[in-house]
Amino acid sequence: AAASSGEKEKERPGGGLGAAGGNSTRERLLSALEDLEVLSRELIEMLAISRNQKLLQSGEENQVLELLIHRDGEFQELMKLALNQGKIHHEMQVLEKEVEKRDSDIQQLQKQLKEAEQILATAVYQAKEKLKSIEKARKGAISSEEIIKYAHRISASNAVCAPLTWVPGDPRRPYPTDLEMRSGLLGQMNNPSTNGVNGHLPGDALAAGRLPDVLAPQYPWQSNDMAMNMLPPNHSHDFLLEPPGHNKENEDDVEVMSTDSSSSSSDSD
Amino acid sequence: AAAVAMETDDAGNRLRFQLELEFVQCLANPNYLNFLAQRGYFKDKAFVNYLKYLLYWKEPEYAKYLKYPQCLHMLELLQYEHFRKELVNAQCAKFIDEQQILHWQHYSRKRMRLQQALAEQQQQNNASGK
Repeated sequence: AAASSGEKEKERPGGGLGAAGGNSTRERLLSALEDLEVLSRELIEMLAISRNQKLLQSGEENQVLELLIHRDGEFQELMKLALNQGKIHHEMQVLEKEVEKRDSDIQQLQKQLKEAEQILATAVYQAKEKLKSIEKARKGAISSEEIIKYAHRISASNAVCAPLTWVPGDPRRPYPTDLEMRSGLLGQMNNPSTNGVNGHLPGDALAAGRLPDVLAPQYPWQSNDMAMNMLPPNHSHDFLLEPPGHNKENEDDVEVMSTDSSSSSSDSD
Repeated sequence: AAAVAMETDDAGNRLRFQLELEFVQCLANPNYLNFLAQRGYFKDKAFVNYLKYLLYWKEPEYAKYLKYPQCLHMLELLQYEHFRKELVNAQCAKFIDEQQILHWQHYSRKRMRLQQALAEQQQQNNASGK
């Protein structure tokens, strides 16, 4: 039995070594423990037999003992290794837990960042809109004084708000009336009798390039029946009498009109 | 000679400014627009271009010279072909005219109503106070 166990022991290390790569420390420990158990049992049996018979060679006993000691050394080594591995395993677990924690932290952070991004995106969008409006406002910047002046001018002439005394039949309108139009430079220019101005038509400088034509509509208008319908009843009489030129009477009439609704564009300062 | 040229140029610009100022304001007059439409001016490409060019009156430095700011709205509408086409219709022009006058009167009417309401309220207050 001792010889067979010795052979066994000889095989074992080889098998143990060969399997060391694949076997876990736990298996190796278990096999070492098993060997130890077998060896010690053998030794005890041997000792028991030797006590009874008292004729045994001490060589075999020593051999088994040495094997036992050797195996014990291996077992101790393995135990150390297992302890180390246990520590490492524990460390790994701790690290894994830490990783999990960090992972959730990162996810949380990512969520927050996403939220922040969304908030920032809307903020940026709003800021851009604001900038746009600021730019627009800056482009159209006008002093309040000027606005008040302008407001005063257009309201004083009843151009944007009807006079309180306005009643149907009143010639005043929120736009240049026929008379106003013809008393202007445009009306005079298209009048054949004041041909002198015609040389200075601004058409050449226009994008359209054809202002003379464009402005011409005033000319045929003077003989148009429609113009009569346009005029309020109390003025149609004057209108019919009006000669193509510019007589004194007409001028007076225009003057009256102008003071009423503050003369046309030309007097802007 | 250059000075003279500049002077005449200056005078020309002045004249052009005044003419365009007058013309752009004439556009506030729906009857005039109807007249232009009936004469076929709105079918003229050059004229339509000219209307586009006149949009510069919307710039503040020019707009401040306008006495009839409504003309800018008309000018804006005139950029649309549909509006230009509709203007041939005398009924349409008449409708615009009426609306314009109603709008013109809106503010003073509203103010009058407000004042009336205020006066009535004060009277009531006085009556209840005594």
